[in-house]
Amino acid sequence: MKGTVRTGRILLLLGVLIFLALIPVVGRGTYYQHLGFLTFLFITLSIAWNLVGGYAGQISFGHVVFFGIGAYTTSILWLRGIPQLLTIPLAGVAAALYGLLWGWPCLRLRGPYFSIATIGVGEATRLLALNLENLTGGAGGLTLPTPEDIRLYLFGFYYMGFFLMLGSLLISAAIRNSRFGLGLFAIRMDEDAAEALGVNALSYKILALMLSAFLVGVGGSLYAQYILYIDPGTVFGFSMSVNMILMPIIGGIGTLWGPVLGAVIFTVIQDRIMTLSLNLWGFTFKLVQFHLLVYGALLVLIILFEPRGLVGLAERAYRSVQRWRQAKAMVPTTG
Amino acid sequence: MAGILEGKGVTKYFGGLAAVHNVDFYVHEGEIFGLIGPNGAGKTTLFRIIAGIYAPTSGQIFFRGKEITGRKPYEICRMGITTTHQVVRPFLDMTVLENVLVGAAFGRGWVTGATRDVRKEAMRVLEFTGLAPKANVLAKNLTLPDRKRLEIARALATRPVVLLLDEVIAGLNPTETLQTMQLIREIRNQGITIVMVEHVMQAVMGVSDRIMVLNYGEKIAEGSPQEVATNPQVIAAYLGTSLAV
Amino acid sequence: MTLNLAILFVSAVLVAGVYATMSYGLALIFGVMKVINLSHAGAIMLGAYVAYVLIVGLKMNPFIAAVVVVPPLFFLLGILLERVFVRPVRKAPPIASLLLLFGVWLMMQNIAYIIWTGEVRTITTPYTMMRFNLGAVPINVNRLAVFLVGVFTLLALHQFMTRTYLGKAIRATAQDSAAAKLAGINTDQIDMVAFGLGTALAGMAGALTALIYAFDPNFGGSYMLKSFCIVVLGGVESFLGVALGSLILALAETLSVLWIRAGLQDFVSFVILVLALLVMPGGLPELFQRRFAVRQR
Ligand SMILES: Nc1ncnc2c1ncn2[C@@H]1O[C@H](COP(=O)(O)OP(=O)(O)OP(=O)(O)O)[C@@H](O)[C@H]1O
Ligand SMILES: [Mg+2]
Repeated sequence: MKGTVRTGRILLLLGVLIFLALIPVVGRGTYYQHLGFLTFLFITLSIAWNLVGGYAGQISFGHVVFFGIGAYTTSILWLRGIPQLLTIPLAGVAAALYGLLWGWPCLRLRGPYFSIATIGVGEATRLLALNLENLTGGAGGLTLPTPEDIRLYLFGFYYMGFFLMLGSLLISAAIRNSRFGLGLFAIRMDEDAAEALGVNALSYKILALMLSAFLVGVGGSLYAQYILYIDPGTVFGFSMSVNMILMPIIGGIGTLWGPVLGAVIFTVIQDRIMTLSLNLWGFTFKLVQFHLLVYGALLVLIILFEPRGLVGLAERAYRSVQRWRQAKAMVPTTG
Repeated sequence: MAGILEGKGVTKYFGGLAAVHNVDFYVHEGEIFGLIGPNGAGKTTLFRIIAGIYAPTSGQIFFRGKEITGRKPYEICRMGITTTHQVVRPFLDMTVLENVLVGAAFGRGWVTGATRDVRKEAMRVLEFTGLAPKANVLAKNLTLPDRKRLEIARALATRPVVLLLDEVIAGLNPTETLQTMQLIREIRNQGITIVMVEHVMQAVMGVSDRIMVLNYGEKIAEGSPQEVATNPQVIAAYLGTSLAV
Repeated sequence: MTLNLAILFVSAVLVAGVYATMSYGLALIFGVMKVINLSHAGAIMLGAYVAYVLIVGLKMNPFIAAVVVVPPLFFLLGILLERVFVRPVRKAPPIASLLLLFGVWLMMQNIAYIIWTGEVRTITTPYTMMRFNLGAVPINVNRLAVFLVGVFTLLALHQFMTRTYLGKAIRATAQDSAAAKLAGINTDQIDMVAFGLGTALAGMAGALTALIYAFDPNFGGSYMLKSFCIVVLGGVESFLGVALGSLILALAETLSVLWIRAGLQDFVSFVILVLALLVMPGGLPELFQRRFAVRQR
């Protein structure tokens, strides 16, 4: 019984993956290909944030810095003649090293204090990017060379995004079932108790941050190559940090599938609903003007009513269905 | 008998308050060493200094003759000193088994290679402590006595050389008290040295080989249970509390 | 050179007054409730906009608006926030209130956007351009007034905290909430009042800041960071600590223009914040206490 459920799940997953892999073949260069790339990117960011914020319980409000470092590393290196593909891993490594640089001091801070420091890290890094014009081009940003066959180019990036997402998911799943993951969970639930049992909390947190930074950095790198233009306001913008917090929380913080679910829903909200405009009482409202209100309210509602997000909601629903079934099964025996 | 754990002039100030003041102690290998004293005497603070959670204001701690003062808690655990917490601190969202797995996967057993199969070791400890039937219960659904037992189990899973038990009996009913006393003796019979803080006098007097008494952060007596129980200074410190063995 | 230093020093002191007001708001809430109030940034920003409406729209006297009208409004706002958002998660891990108040901040930002758009605003008061010379050091009347208001607010609060029953109850709760409860203090009510007062101070500080600097809906963030920095430096217990922390930060920021460009000024508060958190987790007061303890031995 358990075996068939498991096989069923794997088949479903394979089906979804194959479907996703075929989208650009069927509809090359379409809107769906574009939406697919963005979704893969956001899923990656969401999973990566969840490694630190969910698994290790260290809420980061400054995760965008890794995205920006990745994007700028790739752009700067590419513009200086380093082969484009080689810049991708380098972007990840640069982001991870940046994580080490500030994680090493900041992760000594506990819980909320770390979170405050990350707000500072985000702000300080953006300021640096704005002010190091020689390297970053300042507020004007950097424009990357347009490839010859843009359609083929974007087609390729769809798959890069796809594999990055797949890789992130596999990493996230592997961590859950590993000694590393056990240590992170222990740290999240009680850092002192974990240390007293031999968990080296600081290095585990740093390691989680670096791994997360690597994935986000590669994501930033792909983004820069895909959009071909970056500036500090976008790739170091606070709103990207907000997105990275929001997605895993919507889906279910600390879970494996929650961040994926949250990211998919978030991308759809972002791309479909936020571009709509409403006509009310003769006024035209563009929904995008309300996006922070919506996101803020979402955050508040989730924390108040279901801190484990959609995954928590689904579990609750599943349990009540089971209870209802049990109750139904009881009827003949009692009656 | 060789000395396994030793403190010299251990002192800890919180602001202007001396929680532990100039305490010397010496724990022999394989014994059960009781640590008693009225509320606020500094027992937990001394434990936390040994475990590396607090750095002492002054003084030194030695483990097997090697100084460990100022080491991090995880290092000390990996060397072989594991502490339980007076206010129990299970990982609430983990099962009992997972809680114990943390100890097995990160403690001295894992570091020295003594624990090969982490899961097997965790199950062994659960059987030993009687928690095996509750292996898959979430820690947050445990009763207080079970949580106290889980504290012990988790610490045991690290395969400690010295086990520090902070009030693992207080709050248990008489049957549970006897069970835990028996458990403590069995742990010692496996060769693990035990230092225990306890307010329940029958228990600590009953199982300890030697006892040290703290009052207002200072050591006021040390010796066999009988010696300590008849010490006038100790009786004065407990003023009115019965110390019958 | 000495003149330049004197000018910088005076301008640092004048800024420190507002810094102290806003940090005290944050410290009060943290001290009493152990909650890190990320909506602090939103309250500072909204304070600026409400002052804008009162002063530019309704032609009210700037200081009456900032001192008499804004604080009561924000006191009510704070009470509302505490009742609706904070109280339900008081028993949850600290992450819950952190994220929740972060959400509240986002909503506040968006509300400001909708009402006032993202355009950068300034408030010009009759005193904005007025200045006089103290010796050779020119002093801006507007900034001086803002400074004095900040200082008087803190002094008044100090009286309130030490002389009145409510103030003493707040301090008792901050020191040991469980013990305060046992002593018959209604700590739920104290929490509410503390959150109200903290928010009122943030709103007032925002209004005062708006009299000096330009602002937009994103404007609270860096001030919140500064507040954190000051609270970490000065601790949450004492007025003196907060005042000292404000002065240190203001001086560091002001003097930093000698070495780094103005665009990077906010960098200073971040660096100090992290250093202070790391080097002395208890802030300056703990440092003094440690000294004291050592001397006692
Ligand atoms: N982290 C701390 N900060 C400040 N004071 C502390 C701290 N921990 C303990 N104290 C104080 O140090 C003294 C000793 O406390 P400790 O917990 O060690 O006593 P104890 O002997 O374990 O008492 P009990 O039997 O009640 O557990 C007490 O006065 C306590 O208030
Ligand atoms: Mg104790």
